Amino acid sequence: MSEHPFVFLGAVSLLLGLAAGFIMHRSDFCIAGIFRDLFLFRRTVMMRSFVLLVVATMALFEAARLFGLLSAYPFPLLYAPSAANLIGGLLFGIGMVLAGGCVVGTLYKVGAGSALSMTALAGLIIGSGLYAEFHPAWAAFVKRTTLFPGKVTIAQIMGVDPFIVVLVVFIPASLLLLSWRRRGAFTHQAFAAGYLQPSRAALLLALISAASYVLVGMPLGVTSSFTKAAGLVESVILDRHYETLAFYKAMPLNFIHRLTGPEPLIGGVGPSYDTLAAIQLPLILGIMAGSAGSALLLGEFRFTWRVPARQYALAAGGGIIMGLASRIAPTCNVWHLMGGLPLLAASSILFLIGISGGAWLGGLLLLRLLGVGCGKAADGLCAPRRHGA
Amino acid sequence: METIEIDMRGQLCPATLLVALKEINARASLLRKGAVKLCFLIDNRDATGTIPESASNMGYAVTVAKQPEGWYRIEVAVRT
Repeated sequence: MSEHPFVFLGAVSLLLGLAAGFIMHRSDFCIAGIFRDLFLFRRTVMMRSFVLLVVATMALFEAARLFGLLSAYPFPLLYAPSAANLIGGLLFGIGMVLAGGCVVGTLYKVGAGSALSMTALAGLIIGSGLYAEFHPAWAAFVKRTTLFPGKVTIAQIMGVDPFIVVLVVFIPASLLLLSWRRRGAFTHQAFAAGYLQPSRAALLLALISAASYVLVGMPLGVTSSFTKAAGLVESVILDRHYETLAFYKAMPLNFIHRLTGPEPLIGGVGPSYDTLAAIQLPLILGIMAGSAGSALLLGEFRFTWRVPARQYALAAGGGIIMGLASRIAPTCNVWHLMGGLPLLAASSILFLIGISGGAWLGGLLLLRLLGVGCGKAADGLCAPRRHGA
Repeated sequence: METIEIDMRGQLCPATLLVALKEINARASLLRKGAVKLCFLIDNRDATGTIPESASNMGYAVTVAKQPEGWYRIEVAVRT
């Protein structure tokens, strides 16, 4: 295994991606939708499954840590909290609502044939590239606003055993989840064929996330590859300018993974085939192929491009904002919400606050931009009320 | 009863739900009188859950039927 770490990491990521794409398509487990609909329609059913996802992942990560299965705790590329997490999260929230899906949601929708999500994906790559233009200034801002340098998780900041902090959160959270379960508050009526209830999807995605942490050394992440794609394009068409951008030359990933031998795994956001590319590219392909497979099995794979032009503009604009935000934050919602938050990383908690505010603002913006605002003509639109039949 | 068809295939959430709600609200009086029914053509799986939920909360009868070509037809009409 140690001779070909990229083969092992790539094969595992491909399998995890296939499973995640299939599950997300069947359950429409769209993180952008979960946050957006909570504010826009006061729809809470999906948010409950999201809480289940975070709590289940937290328990699995902690179990993996206690059994000594983790190569690094916290995992690599998770930093001390700074104002960047909050600002990046806010921008990310706005972008994902406008784009109609987060970074992973966009991928599974591309897999099912959505032309709008393909546009958002192009926007994500462009936005990631734009960040390179002001990376040095932003890096300096991050440094200035970092709280608790060198400390990532709440447990590290408090100087206590992670088990204690996890337990303090896990016990009340489990009681809340159990009370929701007793009320049947996880289930909602769905008419889509082959529908997977989001609470089941949440448990399966928690397993996938934990499997990734144990086997690949880190949880699911995809946005470094979007930056790599931007760097690749820039290095070809703007080669002289590309050479001046320090951002693409940094190699922030450097860790030893217990399953791939003593050689450190190294990677960055420049367009080279390094560890990040070896993990993320198969994961991205897997998510798209898993979703496409699910859609094909249901006879629902469709490529429809005749959509109002305004929605293409929203998808592109949202994608660009989200791509930019994923570097500002740094990293995206799956990394923070399905990876960092279950470890109770302070940066991920700040990102959660930011993304919540961003989803709320994005919803308000979307109402205006789609021309379906809460005017008199659309009475009842913003909070559908129960009328007599 | 006149059927008004609104084709939203290819569109994503929440545009599909927002447009559907706007159409329902704009024709609320005709819908309640039973003069029209609205038929939304959708290929976004999420909307097959959210549109029926919202329309039925607003007091309408909703039916969802998957079409052989892989998209869904959601009909909204007065409750009988």
